[in-house]
Amino acid sequence: MADSKENGENPLDIDGSSFNPDTYLDCLLKHATLKQIMDKEAEVVTQSQFLQSEMQTLVYENYNKFISATETVRKMRTDFKIMQEEMNKLSENMNKITSFSSQISGSLKESGSNVSRLCGTRQLLDKLQFLFLLPSQLNKAILEGRYVDAVHDYTHAQRVLQKYGNQPSFQSIQTECSEIIYGLKKTLRDRLLSPETSASELAESVGLLRQLQETGSSLQDIFLSCSESRLDKHLQVLSAIVESTDILEWVEKCNNTLLADLGIIISCYHEMFQDNEQTNIPEFADKIMLQVFHLFEEVIKRPENIGTEILIRGLDKFFRKLQAMTEITSSDTMSSKAVDIVVLCINHKATIQYQLIQAQFKDSLMKVRQSLASKGTESTDLKDILNSLQVYLMQKVQASLLDLMAFLQNNLSFGLKPWCANAIAEACWTVISETMVNLSDMVKKMACLQTSNNNIPFELLLILAKLCLEMQENGVTTLHSHLLKLLEESAPGLTVENKDTNSVMVHLSTAAQAALDSEVKFIGQTAAQMLRVSVLARDWLRAPEPRGPRAVCRRVVETLASADSAASQLFPTSVKPSSDSSRRTIWSRAPSSFSPLNRIFSERIEVFSPAGADRAALSNGALKVALKALVECVRLRTFGRHGLQQLQVDVHFLQQRLSCMGNDERLLNALLEDALHSAQLRCIDPQLMEASIVDIICERG
Amino acid sequence: MDEGNSIIYGLEHQTRALSPQYGESDAIRFLIGTQSLKPQSNQVHVVELEEDTGALHTKVFKHDIGEIWHLRCSPHDVAMLMTTHNAYDPLTSQCTMGVTLFKLPTVDVIPKDLDDLSAIQSRNAEDMVQLKTITPEKPEEEVRCAEWHPVDSNRIGIVYEGCMRVHDVNNGEVLANVTPEGRARLKFTGGKWNPHQGHCQFALLQDMHLKCYDTRTDCAKPSWSIDNAHRQLVRDLDFNPNRQFHVATAGDDAALNIWDYRNGKEPIFSRTDHSHWVWTVRYNTYHEQLLLTGSSDARALLTAAASICQDTDGEGKKISQVLEDGVLQSYEQHEDSVYCAEWSAAEPWTFASLSHDARLVLARVPRHFKYKILL
Repeated sequence: MADSKENGENPLDIDGSSFNPDTYLDCLLKHATLKQIMDKEAEVVTQSQFLQSEMQTLVYENYNKFISATETVRKMRTDFKIMQEEMNKLSENMNKITSFSSQISGSLKESGSNVSRLCGTRQLLDKLQFLFLLPSQLNKAILEGRYVDAVHDYTHAQRVLQKYGNQPSFQSIQTECSEIIYGLKKTLRDRLLSPETSASELAESVGLLRQLQETGSSLQDIFLSCSESRLDKHLQVLSAIVESTDILEWVEKCNNTLLADLGIIISCYHEMFQDNEQTNIPEFADKIMLQVFHLFEEVIKRPENIGTEILIRGLDKFFRKLQAMTEITSSDTMSSKAVDIVVLCINHKATIQYQLIQAQFKDSLMKVRQSLASKGTESTDLKDILNSLQVYLMQKVQASLLDLMAFLQNNLSFGLKPWCANAIAEACWTVISETMVNLSDMVKKMACLQTSNNNIPFELLLILAKLCLEMQENGVTTLHSHLLKLLEESAPGLTVENKDTNSVMVHLSTAAQAALDSEVKFIGQTAAQMLRVSVLARDWLRAPEPRGPRAVCRRVVETLASADSAASQLFPTSVKPSSDSSRRTIWSRAPSSFSPLNRIFSERIEVFSPAGADRAALSNGALKVALKALVECVRLRTFGRHGLQQLQVDVHFLQQRLSCMGNDERLLNALLEDALHSAQLRCIDPQLMEASIVDIICERG
Repeated sequence: MDEGNSIIYGLEHQTRALSPQYGESDAIRFLIGTQSLKPQSNQVHVVELEEDTGALHTKVFKHDIGEIWHLRCSPHDVAMLMTTHNAYDPLTSQCTMGVTLFKLPTVDVIPKDLDDLSAIQSRNAEDMVQLKTITPEKPEEEVRCAEWHPVDSNRIGIVYEGCMRVHDVNNGEVLANVTPEGRARLKFTGGKWNPHQGHCQFALLQDMHLKCYDTRTDCAKPSWSIDNAHRQLVRDLDFNPNRQFHVATAGDDAALNIWDYRNGKEPIFSRTDHSHWVWTVRYNTYHEQLLLTGSSDARALLTAAASICQDTDGEGKKISQVLEDGVLQSYEQHEDSVYCAEWSAAEPWTFASLSHDARLVLARVPRHFKYKILL
């Protein structure tokens, strides 16, 4: 059996579907023993018996079921018959019902349409009643001031009225209504024009008018002209108080009245005339703002508004308001104008600063001038004066720079803007450069004045020249770097291009040169004048024997020496000329004879030449001017023997005393030699004194 | 000489006097007077420039009556000249000055034959004819200069230190006397006839001022004046030959000023190109925009003052200015102070400058400026 189960189609499997009893029997007979066959047979018998009995029980059971089923089917057949009858009855009834209902609906149709017509008529009548009541409603609303309701009602009715306006019954209503509305429009317009209405009322009125189908452009015009007249009133008030209030008050007033109203007007305008291209409003706003700016400029320029703190606070308020306004108007010109006004403020401030500095400096200069004039030259320390002037000037400039930096405070509305920082940088530089240029101009003017009349002490010229030079060397760069530092602190990250300091330097150096030239000329010509007058006045022909240098020589030496000592205080020279050669006596090159060859080997001397900025050069310059005059004057005179000898003594004296000034001894000697030589040629009996005697006379004198 | 090269002529004595020969219209001729205190040593040199060859011819005349401070040739007679001289008298140990008129024996300088040539080469000084000497009333009074009357050949104006007188040439008679008023009289330093206004005005230099007197009467008040014409002494003046109210002055402030003397407050033209006193200023007779100045900085400067010499054409429009204002050329051949500078009377482009060391420099206006003016 185990083998027979090897595959599914085992023909030997007695329970399988492909069981082949013959093969099974063959196989069984072949393999099994007798005993086994016997057993098998028994087994099969029992099994078949068992199966037989089982089949019988199954048949019995199922037979009953089958019987009952057949009975049920039979019963159902009879029931269906009844149902068929019922259904037929139902369909019959339904047919009847439909016919009845169509009959009914046919009869009801007429009355339904009547009802609906009645409903429509009633609605119409309602509307008509509204229309008929409209004039009185409108009147009532207007009387009570409910203009909005009135306009609302009217706009509702208007369509109908327009549609049936030609009907005689409606015509009267329409005319009545339009009369009322005309009246309403009029009152609204009156309200527009009346000065008492506030800006919001104004806006409301215009809105209503617009709903009443006034044409847009004329409304705009009315609106704008009304607003303008109102704003003008504000402007007048503002301009009237320019004189009497300070900047804070003014700005407050301006912000609260004019700018606030302008803001309302502009926003209303935008709301109402959205469809319109914004052509009028920027123009309008600009017109108004232009006047405001003009007024503000006036306010700034009032002298009591100069104080930085108050100015900045006022400006800040104003600028904030302007910025807010800019958002409303979205006008570029306005924002740029606002920036302009701040820059203008800054520049105005800077201008005031440097003018103030100039005035103060002038005052202090005047004091210095007076003190120089009253005191003797010896008692004043020029270096001190120079230092105090310089420190004064530097401090003033630095203070004003610091003052301007206040515009860059963080809490200000414009303080952190780069354009503001740039404007400040520009303004600060203007303060520096203008101060320097003013200083140079003043010095130049003084130098010019000096040559025409000598009211200005020459020490002052020296001081000013030195001041200009100091400023040129250190001051300008110090101030410039100071400015950069301040800017870095106040507006970090701002890149300021370095300013062109050269033109300022040129101004200063030319001014210094002019002052020095003027000083040299003044000293030289003072001495020259003394020499000229003394030489021309004296009778050299019949002069007595010399007993000492003439007094004028001492005075000349004193004049030159005082200038030299003043110069030495301010323009120290490091190298002093050795004084041993000053003992040398001048001997004429070719006594008493004239030879044109003499001059070929001597250098040409430029008498009025630009003076150098050191003590020796200054003294040289003055010496040249004085001694060249001596030469020229000597040539105009005729000398006797003693006259010549007197001049010889004078020249020797001058040479001794002057050689310590200046550093160009060759120049000094050349000029003095020239003088003596010219005198020899102009002498009828040219005999010079012994050098030793000249020495003695000079010593004795 | 044309290309800026100057011709230099040297003398043996110092010099302070130079004059062109005003009466001569063909030859370029200058007269120089020497200034030496040695007796019998002074001379008058006549220098002629031969235009074609550029050669220089000279003739020397004796001037034994003293050193020459000032010399003027007559505008009426080519051969006439007048010197202001000074001499020392050992007897009185005093200097006396005077004005003497001379007549040259011949005006020709260029030798015509061999005899002439040898005479010139030997440099023997010839004699001049001494016509008339006018001396001051007080012997010690100084004479500054003497000027021929521009039209009347019988009159000369002499400037003394304290007054100015018009003399008759023939007898020395005083025709007019100008003595300034005031106690503290400032001395006169020079003067000149005004060529305009009927030739009767004489302008005098007094310290820093310029005063012009009418010589028809003995007057004490000037008919016009320019006070403080310079910040220091005024050294010289010259009238514009063509514009009747323009006068140029030079002074110790190294400036050259031109004035319209109807308004003597501010100069209409002012330049400070020299570096020392300016001793002389001269208008070019033909081209008034050219001015010549000499200074003790040993330079002669040729300056253009074109901006104030502009003429208007028929329609009232200004004729465009051809020259820039300012120095056209500086002549630096001198070693000493230049006291005299004069334009030639015969040729408008040639001039001479004389320095104290006796060097005469003859030069010409640079050609490009000349063409600018002419074309």
